[in-house]
Amino acid sequence: MSTTGRLAGWLNPRSRIEETIAATLLVVRRYDSLAVATAVVIGYLVAFLWAVGDLAVRPDVAANLIVIDDPLSRMFDRTGPASFEAVAMVDTGVVRILISPVNAAIGLLLAGLVGVNLGLTYLAVVQPAACGIGAGSGLLASFPALLSGTVCCGPVVLIALGIQARGLMLTMFVWLLPVGIGLLLVSQVYVAGKIDVAGAST
Amino acid sequence: MRDSPTTNGCSRRSVLGSATAVGLTALAGCLGTPGILDGVTDDENAVAEGPPTVDRSFPQEYTIEELNDANLSDGPGQDGIPSIDDPQFAPSDEPPANLEGGDPVFGVELNGEAKAYPQYTLVWHEIVNDVVGGESVAVTYCPLTGTAQGFYRGESELGVSGRLINSNLVMFDRGTETWWPQILALGIRGPHEGEYLEEFQVVWTTWDRWREQYPETAVLTEDTGHIRNYGDDPYGEYNPRRGYYENDNTLFAPLATDDRFPMKAVVIGARNADGAMAVPKDTLRERTVVEGTMSETPYVTVYDEALDTGYVYRNPDGKSVEADEGTVVVDGDSYESNALPLEREIGFDAMWFAWYGYYPSTVVHE
Repeated sequence: MSTTGRLAGWLNPRSRIEETIAATLLVVRRYDSLAVATAVVIGYLVAFLWAVGDLAVRPDVAANLIVIDDPLSRMFDRTGPASFEAVAMVDTGVVRILISPVNAAIGLLLAGLVGVNLGLTYLAVVQPAACGIGAGSGLLASFPALLSGTVCCGPVVLIALGIQARGLMLTMFVWLLPVGIGLLLVSQVYVAGKIDVAGAST
Repeated sequence: MRDSPTTNGCSRRSVLGSATAVGLTALAGCLGTPGILDGVTDDENAVAEGPPTVDRSFPQEYTIEELNDANLSDGPGQDGIPSIDDPQFAPSDEPPANLEGGDPVFGVELNGEAKAYPQYTLVWHEIVNDVVGGESVAVTYCPLTGTAQGFYRGESELGVSGRLINSNLVMFDRGTETWWPQILALGIRGPHEGEYLEEFQVVWTTWDRWREQYPETAVLTEDTGHIRNYGDDPYGEYNPRRGYYENDNTLFAPLATDDRFPMKAVVIGARNADGAMAVPKDTLRERTVVEGTMSETPYVTVYDEALDTGYVYRNPDGKSVEADEGTVVVDGDSYESNALPLEREIGFDAMWFAWYGYYPSTVVHE
């Protein structure tokens, strides 16, 4: 594709969306990229749930299951800017899982976006549209994910790092999740444009 | 059984307030006939009431406007950290499995009834709305300032506002939604602005020590109505002390700072019309009796080794107070450390940075 053609493609939203959808579908159609994306989704989801406090190693607690009263209405109660009440707890004798459906949904959304981004990055490296793509795009994809991942446990992260919070910083925490999701979507569109979908499909 | 501080009577209730009830009750109050409006029952009027307030005179180092300007959101909104409103208790010989003997508990004894509230549970909830010895009370705990305080709540309940001032919990009452910074016990926004809550003594001790002194005590269980990872403290650990509770970092800048002691050094703080005073707990452990003055009035703080706590007494007549083999001798007669024939003040453990931040004029007795 010529430089003029590529520029025209970038400026055509419809073309960009179709290109992104095609590249995203390619990630799930190819075994190698699907394996990359799946591993990232699982890894990110586990890390996210641990960071928000919904997953912990608790070998000291016997296996048990607790469900609170009226879970359907209470699952939407906020415990932070982007964290929500757990409605059940599973102790396996090794790990403790707090089941917060909304936290899990947010985690799955983020993990899915990060997985697709890194799956696309993998394809862009093995099947570049033009001049290839480096590891930088992978970092580009992972940064917003890390950013948004801190939102659910912001003040606790500050305590762990020994950072003193200011009013502006606390306001910023509220925006981390939507900003992170937005950056992941932009990253997805950007990386998708680096892939030769037709070549990779054949 | 140990003597309890004098308390005022309050009755129990536990229903959430609503803005509608507040508005209707306010209007009814203006008309001079409570409950005059159709559909407003006595119960609904009761819901709109705030906690009882008392005439107190504390040192006010900041204006109410300055305190409001200093409030910050710590992330969760109002009730995002949920108080325990239907606490469940176990007898002392069947404590929660996660509670170890050396773990901190907040002990309350009112009208002959003793209860222990484990720190590891309150770190997730900060407030327990309870009834102890027939009194409707709120036992409150702020992890960031290391302060456990008790308040009479009357017909209302206290909740966690999600705001902090000087790193300290700002409570709200569900009847009037007035904001109450915990350490100050002062209403800073809402119908009770400028008024003080009535307090009672809460003892910061360990489970083994409390159980030894109060064998019939009940202990708060993990059946709080909420799912939390009890046993895992998000800020650190007290047994042994580590993390936020041990290091010199604060999450927010204090209102005022002083480097005489480490930021998280524990002091026993007391304040009244004479001023504010602090006694470093390490000094008290070492010396057992610590004397000093506030506004030229003598005060004495005595150590209770059994509970590892201290009691602050006003001693205007300058009576002789000395430690003697586990008891305290006042003018030649022996007394238990918590029952001296002097006027006892409410005193509570606090991290030095938090106490000084709120009371920079504090005197230190060493």
